[in-house]
Amino acid sequence: MLTYDTYHMPTTLEEALTIWAASPEGSRLVSGATDILPWAREGRAGDVHLPELVDVTRISELNGYAFENGRVRLGANTVYQDFLTDRVLMRNLPCMPYCAIWFADDQIREQASLTGNLVNASPVADGTPAVVALNGEIELARLENGEIARRRIAVVDFIEGPGRTQIARDEIATAVILDTASGYGGSFQKVGQRRSLVISVACCAALVKADHTGRIFEDVRLALGGVGPRPIRMYDAERALRGETISHALIDKVARSAAELVGSRSRQDYRREVVVNFVRAALQDALADQSDVEIKFQDTREQAHV
Amino acid sequence: MSKLKIEAEVNGRKITRETEPHKRLLDFLRDDLNLTGTKEGCGAGECGTCSVFVDGKLVKSCLMPVAKASGARIETIEGLATPGELTPMQRAFHKTGASQCGYCIPGMVMAATSALRENPAADIEEIKERLGGNICRCTGYTKIFEAVEMARSVIAGDLPETVLEEDKVGDSYIGANVRRLDAPAKVSGRLKYAADMKLPDMLQMQVLRSPHAHARILSIDTSEAEAMDGVACVITSDDVPGTDGFGVFVHDQPIMARGKVRHVGEAVAAVAAEDLVTARRALSKIKVEYEELPGLFDPEDALKPGAPVIHDYAPGNVVKHIPVRKGDIDAGFAAADIVLEDDFSTQQVEHAYLEPEAGIAYVDPDDVVVVISPSQNITHHRHMLAEIIAKPINKVRFIMSPVGGGFGGKEDMIYQGMLALAAMKTHRPVQLNFTREESLIASAKRHPSRVHYKMGLKWNGRITAIEFNMLSDGGAYGMSSEGVMRKAAILSCGPYEVDNLKVDTTAVYTNNTPSGAFRTFGGMQAQFATESMMDMAAEALDMDPFEIRRLNMMKIGAKTHTQQTLETASLDRVLDAAETASRWETGAPNVRGAKRGDLNGPDTRKPCTLGARIKAETKSKNDAERVA
Repeated sequence: MLTYDTYHMPTTLEEALTIWAASPEGSRLVSGATDILPWAREGRAGDVHLPELVDVTRISELNGYAFENGRVRLGANTVYQDFLTDRVLMRNLPCMPYCAIWFADDQIREQASLTGNLVNASPVADGTPAVVALNGEIELARLENGEIARRRIAVVDFIEGPGRTQIARDEIATAVILDTASGYGGSFQKVGQRRSLVISVACCAALVKADHTGRIFEDVRLALGGVGPRPIRMYDAERALRGETISHALIDKVARSAAELVGSRSRQDYRREVVVNFVRAALQDALADQSDVEIKFQDTREQAHV
Repeated sequence: MSKLKIEAEVNGRKITRETEPHKRLLDFLRDDLNLTGTKEGCGAGECGTCSVFVDGKLVKSCLMPVAKASGARIETIEGLATPGELTPMQRAFHKTGASQCGYCIPGMVMAATSALRENPAADIEEIKERLGGNICRCTGYTKIFEAVEMARSVIAGDLPETVLEEDKVGDSYIGANVRRLDAPAKVSGRLKYAADMKLPDMLQMQVLRSPHAHARILSIDTSEAEAMDGVACVITSDDVPGTDGFGVFVHDQPIMARGKVRHVGEAVAAVAAEDLVTARRALSKIKVEYEELPGLFDPEDALKPGAPVIHDYAPGNVVKHIPVRKGDIDAGFAAADIVLEDDFSTQQVEHAYLEPEAGIAYVDPDDVVVVISPSQNITHHRHMLAEIIAKPINKVRFIMSPVGGGFGGKEDMIYQGMLALAAMKTHRPVQLNFTREESLIASAKRHPSRVHYKMGLKWNGRITAIEFNMLSDGGAYGMSSEGVMRKAAILSCGPYEVDNLKVDTTAVYTNNTPSGAFRTFGGMQAQFATESMMDMAAEALDMDPFEIRRLNMMKIGAKTHTQQTLETASLDRVLDAAETASRWETGAPNVRGAKRGDLNGPDTRKPCTLGARIKAETKSKNDAERVA
């Protein structure tokens, strides 16, 4: 059971940063609160009493999104459901709807924010590989001599390990900045025990853009989650595909190379097998998701062995 | 702790309340506003029973600090229709029989309502996806999905509203679609389960549970907890006035651990306090000294000579052994052309009914101790409690509250005794609502079983003999083990006529969570072994699995394993129906492997794919562009 003395709901960033900087040790920032409440239960943290919670969801500066130089800056109050309801976001961030549909369920997606998911830094967070594939950065704000100071860090560096990030004690994450990828096909692969509310064993996000003939990989982005303490961007695999002719044989070859990236200590053999299949499926699904180009594979797919 | 002021609009009415800042929206709705149609099934966002609309968006109120709802427009199950009326969705749930135990139903109705508000044209795949955050354990979801599709079509005008009305019943009720009498109470959230009931001056109970699997209790010091402001009483086994011990067959379980604990999660002491937070804080003030004892965690170890003894009355750790003998087993195996032998094991299973255990006890003015709970066996509980609290039977009353799912898991009196003791000690009503975690750790499970199986057959497939030996993990207490072993033995060799058989089923004590009643009551574990063996025999003899079953099935006049002569038998018709419905391709199980033509036909559940709404969205976008 989670108890606390005070629950703050600041409405401006300055107010929030002031309250947060002054809050007693052990206080927590809260976005959707969908992780902290289940955490304070039997079998995890048990009964927890915290001095103060500072809720960021009523800070108006953290609402909405804006485009800037081929990038989109998502305010920290952007929730997962937005990637399934906002057509502009769906078009510009093609892997995010598929990531979102695998994330928790409809109810939790209405509350849970992408930024909160990144700051929690779970090694199996669904959002991380998708954000890393989109060259995501996180924006952090703090008060310096009464002024709001901001900095940006690449998410791939921001997350240092399970539950560990580069956020400082007096900082609040205010936005996530992503590449826009309109015209790309997106996909997201995840294994779990069931359709909703699944914590993934491993996950993979892909973005693919074919050229206008549908025969060449013009650009590819691949990222893995859940296979090590930090998210993995598959730069070698991307290089091996970029500019090459689209073929099942090449996809298979690149997919097989992914097994080497598995660093998790538990269920390693399983994860190695899964990751290979994920990368293959992620590339195929992302190719199929390209709406304006018909993909022409160079070879026909070998009959699957049953 | 300073109070938090909440102003909001709830079901169309403005409300202002002061409440504790740490409350969740769920607590606020249920405790402060008495809107108990919103249920708590897990408290961790997994089950969906607490779903409500906040500013038009469906959320899980167990994951929302109440402050987040301040200034918001909240809609609960009670607010969907005006009192006395039902929405088309609620009527559709009534019509299709979508509500069974009913505990998940308010949340299901809310999720279904949200699904159609978000997309009034949602197809079945999208409906399934949008209901993915809600769990039901009774229906298998089919009737729920049927209801949502019916409501969608009625709202869209594709079906007349009359489909929501009750079907006419002809000459017979058999096969007729009859609506459930209790469905309107369930689909509207009006039905009160034990955790929804409130009595004036009621205390809240919390239970201190054992962290050890097997340990002697050296001392329990409750003084600090008892001295706390707001604590009304602390109870231990010392407070039991009569003969302590309950169980469905053997009364081997004390109300709370007496002298030693036998499994992790066993109740050791309980606190009744003015509120839940005080009761939980008081638990941490109770000091228990344990001396750990060697534990038993594998049923085979329990039978070894020199194994730790868990109950003094059972020095060999056997809860119950049921033998069944028929014919001459040696002659049967001697006559066999082929003898197959294998081992089968099944695991522990939790019932996971959506309603966690809950109950209330009070002492009425005539000194009758009254216990309200979703017990599946109130009469037996009443008799046992009378002995335990040393009262004549007319001074003990049990009231069965609506059972939010039981499946056998609520047959055991694992908390009603504690409630009675606290009510007797304080003369105030006392309520105990289990958390989901507590329900998982303390309630009985399906018996994990191992079967060693030996089957003799003629080349033509006729069974000549079966030796069936089942060892089940009964866990720390007897509970329903005896009955489960008896049922497993009676059903052991399945619906097949076997002239020579030797069946033994045994449940033993271990320090695992107790095993008890669970749907099929031992039959499932036995049938898993027998039916697997039949398929393996068919494969070994190159026979069709239906053929080998028909050859051995019990017919009219057959003698069962316990030698009852059957006057009726229907397995032939069951096999015919199954063969037709599955479009079975005749042949041994291994002849065609994955190339069978009878796989993945119509009516087969396809693997789930996600993203139905993304595809719908892409399609509508493309259509729109084409039009433009």
